[in-house]
Amino acid sequence: MSLFPTQGKTQRPPRIRQILTSTASGAGIAVAPIDFTDRTLPNGLRVLLVEDHRVPSVSINVGYRVGGKDDPPGRSGFAHLFEHLMFKGTKNTRPETIDRLTEDIGGLNNAFTADDITNYYEVVPSNYLETLLWAEADRLGSLAVIEEHFHTERDVVIGEYDQRILAEPYGMLDELVNRESFAVHPYRRGVIGDPENLRAATLDDVVAFHRTFYRPDNAVLVVVGDLDPVQTNAWIDKYFGRVPKPAAPIPRVTSVEPPQTAERTYTYRAANVPLPAVEYAYHIPEWRHPDAPALDIVETLLGMGKSSRLYQSLVYTQRVATSAHASADLREQPGLFSLRAIASTGTPIEAVRTALDAEIARLHDELPASAEMDRVRTQIASSLVRSRQTYNNIAVALVRSAIERDDPGALNSDLDRYRAVTEADVQRVARRYLTPENRTTIEYLPL
Amino acid sequence: MTQPIVALEKPPSPGAPHRAELPLPVERTLANGMRVIAFPQRSAPKAYAVPIIAAQLIVRGGASAETEAEAGLATLTTSLVTQGTATRSAVEFAQAVDGLGARLDAASGYDAATVSVTALSHVFPAALALFDEVVRRPSFPQAEVERVRAKAIGDLALSYSSPSALARFVAQRVAFGSAPYGHPVAGTAETLATLDRERIVAFHARYFRPDNATLIVGGDCSPDEAFALIERQFGDWQAPASPLPVPASFTAPPARRRVVIVDKPDAGRTALIAGRVGIARRAQSYPAGVVTTAVLSGYSGRLNQEVRVKRGLSYGAGAQLIARREPGLFLASTLVDHTKVDEAVKVVLETLHGLAATAPEAAELVTRKATISGGFSRSIETIDGVAGVLGELALYGMPLSELAAYLPEIEAVDPEMVQRFAAATFDELFVVLVGDASVFGEAIRATYPDVTTIPLDKLDLGQPTAMKV
Repeated sequence: MSLFPTQGKTQRPPRIRQILTSTASGAGIAVAPIDFTDRTLPNGLRVLLVEDHRVPSVSINVGYRVGGKDDPPGRSGFAHLFEHLMFKGTKNTRPETIDRLTEDIGGLNNAFTADDITNYYEVVPSNYLETLLWAEADRLGSLAVIEEHFHTERDVVIGEYDQRILAEPYGMLDELVNRESFAVHPYRRGVIGDPENLRAATLDDVVAFHRTFYRPDNAVLVVVGDLDPVQTNAWIDKYFGRVPKPAAPIPRVTSVEPPQTAERTYTYRAANVPLPAVEYAYHIPEWRHPDAPALDIVETLLGMGKSSRLYQSLVYTQRVATSAHASADLREQPGLFSLRAIASTGTPIEAVRTALDAEIARLHDELPASAEMDRVRTQIASSLVRSRQTYNNIAVALVRSAIERDDPGALNSDLDRYRAVTEADVQRVARRYLTPENRTTIEYLPL
Repeated sequence: MTQPIVALEKPPSPGAPHRAELPLPVERTLANGMRVIAFPQRSAPKAYAVPIIAAQLIVRGGASAETEAEAGLATLTTSLVTQGTATRSAVEFAQAVDGLGARLDAASGYDAATVSVTALSHVFPAALALFDEVVRRPSFPQAEVERVRAKAIGDLALSYSSPSALARFVAQRVAFGSAPYGHPVAGTAETLATLDRERIVAFHARYFRPDNATLIVGGDCSPDEAFALIERQFGDWQAPASPLPVPASFTAPPARRRVVIVDKPDAGRTALIAGRVGIARRAQSYPAGVVTTAVLSGYSGRLNQEVRVKRGLSYGAGAQLIARREPGLFLASTLVDHTKVDEAVKVVLETLHGLAATAPEAAELVTRKATISGGFSRSIETIDGVAGVLGELALYGMPLSELAAYLPEIEAVDPEMVQRFAAATFDELFVVLVGDASVFGEAIRATYPDVTTIPLDKLDLGQPTAMKV
């Protein structure tokens, strides 16, 4: 909502003004919806477009519904390795063509692999939109990787494992949390995978993986920015429309993690642990679940910034921890809510756990004050709104929402959902999910 | 799968570039002398508007206002303004900012200190009040002075361990000597140790005054709303009776062809910089300088093509044009194996001289200009990005219309202008090498007439010569 509700809004479309004035309830935060078109090509490709002419650039995202959880058996980490190979040439282009088509014109490109999604994106001056649509369709339709590039890129990915998991302090802890929290679900393998599995991978695996998952009916194309929708749709039909839809079904993860009934506790010791750490990981439902917004609110209340409960209590007042975080890791399928604290020098890990337990108990026992809830809503809204400033952030948000919760439009009601979370909801989800029997505890200690 | 010999299909060519929709800034000066620049959110059809307001205060007088003996004072003072105010401790202040979901930062460079804040519109007045506390009433608690200073000294040690960072510090000394851009912006361990609370308080009082400041504000409010809000918050800020400090003009020492080697035997690779004093931001030739630098930079720029792609001497090479109130540095830099230093110096200098000798083809400029406009477009996507661009224009006394004029000026640069800029700049270049001199020192001394070698234990960035006396 504006500082001064009536002045200075005359140039805005009426739709936005209506929203600015329709928020008498709540904390006075409103943001215009992202206005997107949504269609599906005959070959199954879902296409979302947002027209916006603030700056003469466009963001192009292609998200594939495949991630770490879909790694082939015995090929843990393969989705991530494959992401790297998507830059290694096609029938029509040499390796690194995407880099040249973006960086050389003042654009950028990158990709990421998560548990449920692999997303590729470019931000380029808008007059290069057709070029990049061609290039993305080309690597969907005609990827061609040779043995030599496969081997060098595999070494790069294994090097990344060494750097991020082995060399980084606490790098292994994320892997351990997934592995111990999930007994049967493939989320237990994480994304970065296993170097031994990757060494065993072959070029045939690459071909099979591309054929299995890189198909139009397993992808979402999002373009945001300075575009003409009619022209853009024509280019998309021309370049993406000709990629055939395979007849074979797409394999999906169907395994369901059985409910946990008793706390699981593990102690690990490792060389690169400067100070003892503890992590509590609780099973939570999937992102689509109605409890997800309340879990996000709990994450912010406990862990966002220096006004959060964990910082105030563990770091600032009691000084038992040097850092303390909360994370609602909401995924396509049921994920984890985790609390992580790193002990301050000389503090035994038991004292850190006692302090964390007290914060959980407080959530169970007391309703949060309404002033605290207002603060939390403002924080969560601020980070959401701030992230809507760039074309690429909007595109990534649409891709993730489309793939991880099957509903791109859900991002337009997130703020309302946060606003609807009550003090009682916070207590209810804390009592429901943040319980000892639903928890995996990992103490991660120096050697 | 096999690699194709002949590409079956080529990527489609780009269309004509689109023009940027830019907000129109307006300005006013408050009675106390503070310049206020306001810009509205873009109102183009189909422009997504976010309920965010950003403000940025530019205070003239950064590290170039320090004496040699107090190097680091501006940076230290600026990093302390957020660490405690008249009514709040450092942690209480951080919690207050955080509680509003706002962002509030302070940073300092050679010409100015900058304090910036971004918040959702409905809490922006409250965030602006916190911003005001930082600007007008920082308390500089002794404990925070000690903590921030100790951290600054620790950070220096870390940056000295990187050959590339060290080479830049040395290049500044080689280019500017004892002129105001010569000393390190963050100071040295020796100067930082002498900077006490009194000096910090005095530095703040001297420069943080309304008639020495420009405030840029914009986003989800009209300029009239912004002016009213700023007047309400800062209208009672009184300028002191003391005369307004005026930044002194200075002249850098004349450029000269020389090589300075810092012998750092433990360096993994050698950092190489070729450079000289370039131009001020206000210079007529600035757009030509930006395009020339773009011709040399990036993966497909000439330096990387020559150094990495054709010869494999390095993972990357590029150039940078630092234009300030007074002429700053032009730098070409790379990081090479100790055994390849001799060849790399030769290739870098030849590449620069080549552009000075022969104008580039017009086609080469097309893609290099695209890197500039692409980068500029992305930098003004956010509200604080626009505030940042306007702040730089205001600081350097440029007309605000330059926001809209910048890209057309870049487009207007032709091959001859690039060659002219290169010819004027790539003469009398110095070279700085930071690495294991036992491997390359002899070859360099045999090739170049004026070579100074500084062993690491004799290096002192607190001295105009960069050498201990």
